[in-house]
Amino acid sequence: MKKDILFTVPSYFRDDMHIVAYRFGKGEKSCAVVGALRGDEVQQLYVCARLVSYLRDVERDGGIQEGRSVMIIPTAIGASMNVEERLWAPEDMDINRRFPGSATGATSERIANAILERVQLYRYGVQLTSFYQPGSFIPHVRLMDTGRQNPELGCDFGLPYVYVRKPRPYDKAALNYNWQLSGTQAFSLYAGKTNEVDETSAEQSFLAIVRFLNGRGIIRSEILPAHPSSIISSEDLIPVHTKNAGLLRRVKFAGAHVRRGEQLAFILNPLDGSVREVLKAPVTGTVFFMENGPFIVEQTPAFYMLAGS
Amino acid sequence: MLRELATIASVALPVNERWALRRCRYAPDSSSKGRVCIATGIHGDEMMGQFIIYHIARRIRQNPNALLGTVDLYPMLNPLGLDVLERTVPTGTQLDMNRSFPGRPKGTTLESMCDSIMQDMMGSDLVLDIHASSQHKSEMYEVRISSSACSQLVPKAHALCPDIIWTLEDRSTFSSSLVGALTEAGTDAMVIEMDEQYHPEAAEKVIEGIFCKLKEMGLWAGDARRLPTEDIPTVLSAEQICRVPCEQPGIYVPETLIGTHVKAGQVLGEIIDALAGAPRETITAPCDGLIFSQRNYSAVYPGTLIARIRKEQA
Repeated sequence: MKKDILFTVPSYFRDDMHIVAYRFGKGEKSCAVVGALRGDEVQQLYVCARLVSYLRDVERDGGIQEGRSVMIIPTAIGASMNVEERLWAPEDMDINRRFPGSATGATSERIANAILERVQLYRYGVQLTSFYQPGSFIPHVRLMDTGRQNPELGCDFGLPYVYVRKPRPYDKAALNYNWQLSGTQAFSLYAGKTNEVDETSAEQSFLAIVRFLNGRGIIRSEILPAHPSSIISSEDLIPVHTKNAGLLRRVKFAGAHVRRGEQLAFILNPLDGSVREVLKAPVTGTVFFMENGPFIVEQTPAFYMLAGS
Repeated sequence: MLRELATIASVALPVNERWALRRCRYAPDSSSKGRVCIATGIHGDEMMGQFIIYHIARRIRQNPNALLGTVDLYPMLNPLGLDVLERTVPTGTQLDMNRSFPGRPKGTTLESMCDSIMQDMMGSDLVLDIHASSQHKSEMYEVRISSSACSQLVPKAHALCPDIIWTLEDRSTFSSSLVGALTEAGTDAMVIEMDEQYHPEAAEKVIEGIFCKLKEMGLWAGDARRLPTEDIPTVLSAEQICRVPCEQPGIYVPETLIGTHVKAGQVLGEIIDALAGAPRETITAPCDGLIFSQRNYSAVYPGTLIARIRKEQA
């Protein structure tokens, strides 16, 4: 294992912020994994830390394939993590909205540029991410529809779904989109939680990456067999919008199979407990996503369903 | 004169409140000669737009017979952010509303609100989105427009009488802004950028510029104390701007030069280190030109923007 400082942001009041990369193996730059780009992506950091620890042992045991290498960047925003800020605090900017960045631009653009410059040299890329809508997803890997994506490769993660997502204007400033455009087969892997460590979903993300590294012939390690993956797109997801706001009491959770008309959740009046709305499944299928906050706002897609069994 | 308060979109929040987007429309009793939308408050930490819109409304109400067209005022596009002085929308994952356009009617709450704003403004003759710089930065009165529509919009920006017109390249984030999305949708739209601090004289420049524009469009027959001029510094490409960053962290102590012409090598300020009791970096102008944006006294990191200079024409 080699530990590099990929980029340093010097600070005045505090210690300098070093962006650290861990490298394993030699030869072709096969796969890069990027963890936290936001200060609250603790789970993403944790999965990377587990990967570093695991790959250290794999490398020691000769498990990195000849002529292959892996790089892990656990966090690019340690300074914000230490003060519990989601954004790059000095500029109030989201690093994952600053790509491709610029070597001479603002600090957040320099951070983005330094990361992309390094990771775009790799054949495959995995970003552990949190998504713009807070909630729980069925385990999946996603990639942007840039015209350069290869969703079949995503099946090597062994997760139930590979989700090809149409980019929206703001996505064009995200790592995944720019990484894909630079020629890397880049995937986003949802790590289950954001500002807390959840062992079960962390294990799932960790195993998915290990499976991918095995499947792509980058490492040799024992791993549980893969789950067959289905490739889905934005059009396959059916939203269940709320017509009311209040407290959200869920009765079905991400991954549940439900029949059309079955109850998914209740929206309760937060003052008197009366039921304002019953959210029901619009189709028979699987709950792909659910909002997981205690509150819900009107007109929110509280659930996304996948039709079929 | 018609004065009509409307809620263009609203959603219920969990505990006895609605997040409402409100518009105040002023229109003549007779037929309207056009429609201008003036919005502000998309970033909750930028308060100057409140003062500008207040004075626009006030002048229209004082002289209702001078109004010949429709003026729609949207002072609080991000009311939750304004209430807590946050740039982003303080619900969910704290997203920047001005990176969420054009939105979607069946998207997230924020996306559907952005879509409602788009639907309400599209088709008007002009949309002005007033911003007040960002924390710790001074700006001249700027009009920013999309470079994709620069040949059409630069001449139209003159009547706003700004200190500078800046055409912005359509980088990824611009097309997800209100003005970027409206421009793409075929509606004339411009950003008005001004200083974050309360300076009545700077605010008056903007107010008078807006009335001058309304007059030029035939929507206003009353006073407009500024006159359009052809002689407005204009930035048409990135090469005409010099972005001056610092390279050392510390505390930036500025030479206040906003709005002045500087020579290459002129000192713009110093980065100091209080612990060491020594300066760390002296920032100088790399070229001759007009300083139209400058950092105020504050902590800085390598890359922090100290100044933007519009290069002097050779």
